[in-house]
Amino acid sequence: MTGRLLLWGGIGFFLVIIGLPFWWVVTGSIKDPAEIIARDPTMFPQSFTLQHYAKLLAASAYPTYLVNSLIVAVSTAVLTVLLAVPAAYAFFRMELPFREGMYRAILLAYAFPGIIVLIPIYGFFAQLGLIDSLVALVIVNTTFALPFSIWMMRSFLGTIPQDIEEAARMDGAPTPVILRRILVPLLLPGIAAVAVFAFISSWTEYIFASILILSDAQRTIPVGFAGIIGQYQIDWGLLLAGATLAILPVVIIFALIGRTFVAGMTDGAVK
Amino acid sequence: MTSAPVPVRVARRLSERRLAILFVAPALLLLAVTLVWPLILALDLSVRDVRFIGQSGDFVGLANYADTLNSTRFWESAGRSLIWVVGNAVVQTALALAAALILHQRFPGVQIARVWILLTWIVPTVVVVIIWRWLLSNSGGMINPLLVQSGVINAPVGFFASRESAMTTLILINAWRWFPFVTLMILAALTRIPADLDEAARMDGAGRWKRFSRITWPLLQPTLAVLLVVGTLLSFNVFDIIWLITAGGPSAGTQTLPVLIYETAFRGYEMSQAAAMSVLTGLFLMVFAVMASRGMSREAGP
Amino acid sequence: MSDLVLQGVTKRFGATTAVQGVDLDIAAGEMVVFVGPSGCGKSTLLRMIAGLDPVTEGRILIGGRDVTAAEPVDRGLAMVFQSYALYPHMTVAQNMAFPLEMQGLGRAEISARVRETARTLQLEPLLDRKPRALSGGQRQRVAIGRAIVRQPVGFLFDEPLSNLDAELRVQMRQEVARLHRTLGATMVYVTHDQVEAMTLADRIVVLRAGRVEQVGAPLELYENPANAFVAGFIGSPRMNLIPATVRDGAVTLPGLVLPRPGLPAGGTPVQVGLRPEHMVASGPAIAATCEAVERLGAVSYLYARLADGTQVTAQVDAALAVTSPGAAVTLTPDPARALVFAADGARLV
Repeated sequence: MTGRLLLWGGIGFFLVIIGLPFWWVVTGSIKDPAEIIARDPTMFPQSFTLQHYAKLLAASAYPTYLVNSLIVAVSTAVLTVLLAVPAAYAFFRMELPFREGMYRAILLAYAFPGIIVLIPIYGFFAQLGLIDSLVALVIVNTTFALPFSIWMMRSFLGTIPQDIEEAARMDGAPTPVILRRILVPLLLPGIAAVAVFAFISSWTEYIFASILILSDAQRTIPVGFAGIIGQYQIDWGLLLAGATLAILPVVIIFALIGRTFVAGMTDGAVK
Repeated sequence: MTSAPVPVRVARRLSERRLAILFVAPALLLLAVTLVWPLILALDLSVRDVRFIGQSGDFVGLANYADTLNSTRFWESAGRSLIWVVGNAVVQTALALAAALILHQRFPGVQIARVWILLTWIVPTVVVVIIWRWLLSNSGGMINPLLVQSGVINAPVGFFASRESAMTTLILINAWRWFPFVTLMILAALTRIPADLDEAARMDGAGRWKRFSRITWPLLQPTLAVLLVVGTLLSFNVFDIIWLITAGGPSAGTQTLPVLIYETAFRGYEMSQAAAMSVLTGLFLMVFAVMASRGMSREAGP
Repeated sequence: MSDLVLQGVTKRFGATTAVQGVDLDIAAGEMVVFVGPSGCGKSTLLRMIAGLDPVTEGRILIGGRDVTAAEPVDRGLAMVFQSYALYPHMTVAQNMAFPLEMQGLGRAEISARVRETARTLQLEPLLDRKPRALSGGQRQRVAIGRAIVRQPVGFLFDEPLSNLDAELRVQMRQEVARLHRTLGATMVYVTHDQVEAMTLADRIVVLRAGRVEQVGAPLELYENPANAFVAGFIGSPRMNLIPATVRDGAVTLPGLVLPRPGLPAGGTPVQVGLRPEHMVASGPAIAATCEAVERLGAVSYLYARLADGTQVTAQVDAALAVTSPGAAVTLTPDPARALVFAADGARLV
């Protein structure tokens, strides 16, 4: 009995701490300004207005930010998968000099504050003329998603029985064919998990996006909205509308593939 | 009887090795170019005297390092980073463990719950920032009026007013934002524990707490250990949430090392100094990571 | 079909030697079964023949060609795995077509060969199904089909029936035997089940701790084991090995004296090998205490303990099977069928 009580209490707790803030934000975005800052805040909106959204879309280049963020995030996801899968296979199955050492070293990439590479990368990219281009962001985001993605991919590879690969070898398949035609189809949940992870890491990235992108036309959502926060300090309605719009794309994507992602992760991710 | 050896294997061995190198090369190349090379550049930066980006400075040896190690600001920030890391570790682990255990049970809607627990992880940091700056603000926020209304407190709380409260609040916000991912990792580990172990314990009459502490917890420890190490590294380096909410304030109360480094580089115009700080921080974290993972593999045993 | 020759094949993992200098000549079209307890090296040996694991020392020749360094596919062998190792995301037809695609055959020919093999194994109705929609026995047949379709010079089987239930195992055993007859293929078959070995093999290779203990036809091994290990391994229930001593040119057991020529000096401890079914109705008897009786319907087994503590098994007829645990019984072995082994297992007589 206490077990069930604990369970539902816990569920309620998490529902409140996660759900409530978002509920407030979304409902706040459609409230009259007066209601938002009223003394007694309301759980359910008493008013309805779309003025904040109108102002937001008029005042900022949200659609541009959205497109940029999407381009960068999708490219990061694709690039990360293309690099992580073969690398993970090489670390896992193939004979590679210094295999173990390299593998451990890769995860150490996370030991460094992003700031440390910020300055040199800025200078480096400036020389290559990559400042203010989405390509720079894709490169940086992929770099930071890669180590963990390789680690995840290696775990997923571990779930495939070795004799399937041996059967393919007996059948005469060379290694690239084994990877492409046997392993990749079986690894699709893992690949999806890595793609989603890379997508989300890229989507939420702020620091590098703020330094490497200078013009509004190339800006991504996190930086765009940080700018709006700075500009419209106290216009809560506007900010809440912005937050809601920023959440929307990832919520939609997650509504579609969230289940697959979670299933993939809980099945094969953690070693 | 012809017994000319078929030397295909030797050739294949070599080409297999070459193929393996080909497979890792793109990833390693990218990491080398965008991570290792800038690290080396940062190292170079740290032993020169550069103030602004683009400036080239003279070689000054380890002067920057000496300055850093002697500066009280650095050590105070280091201390704050320590508090930040420990606070995050405690809160995130507690939340994630609780959530994972709950999501491991069977109840109506558990599948949906497992997906949407990740909500705070998938939204951009700026959204987290907007949400909490709004909710916790003194004018127009939701939390203070609610607390006052329900009688929990008499007057509105200044969540970011004092150094301690700001640090605490930030830790809670950061934990709120990151714990779902940890939850997912723990949940994955939980699903690996064979169900029949728990069932056998139930047959033996072990109550819920006993089953958790004697079966679940020991089997979770390896995963938790890895998460703790990686999580520590990642939360140490969190910059955006702190910067966008308090910018290190009030009066440097939340100025952790990453914030200090950023300020030194881009506000204080002391690039080289910042680089030295970064290198020191990175080294320290690497030592920690290496020692921690050695400790863990010793735990794992033969 | 090709013959297969192993010369001094050895496998070492660091300090451990898994396979020690195996020499074997397998004729084309012969079915040879590697059998032995877990860890005896039979699977390791098979994998070396397949080319999946490299040989530390020695040579492997197929059809006279030295393939020791060759890749699996270049050896022309096909392998059936214990867990079938079917490609889960491909249909049965695609699974069987895969090796042919790797060989570069044209689509029409692939299709024809797959269809023909499917017909031989009665897999036609299953061609569009994926492995997860198949039963264990069906999966096994697909695995065999994938091997056959390549028209290899030899087949390798790695404990293919271990994952099947008892009844299915009997069925599949006969299928494999039929396959051997139909294809006339060279086959190397690994199993830990000596019944499979006895029923399928042209010759059996008994392995222990990486060494070949004996090679020969099943009945040869059964009636003429080279040592106590082979004697005990082949045949179920196990041959009884009763400790005894040599005295005056005869082996002496309590209640039984077996004169034999060629025995070593008096006083030497030996073991007497007696199969449970080699009991006769009358003659010199050994006294024992009954421990258990297993009545299987057609036969019954009596488990008894001798005065010196040795356990023996005897196949008894219904009459004697009336005994119960604790009762005193007498066993009458057929002296002509008794074998004598030295204390270390070597065969004496």
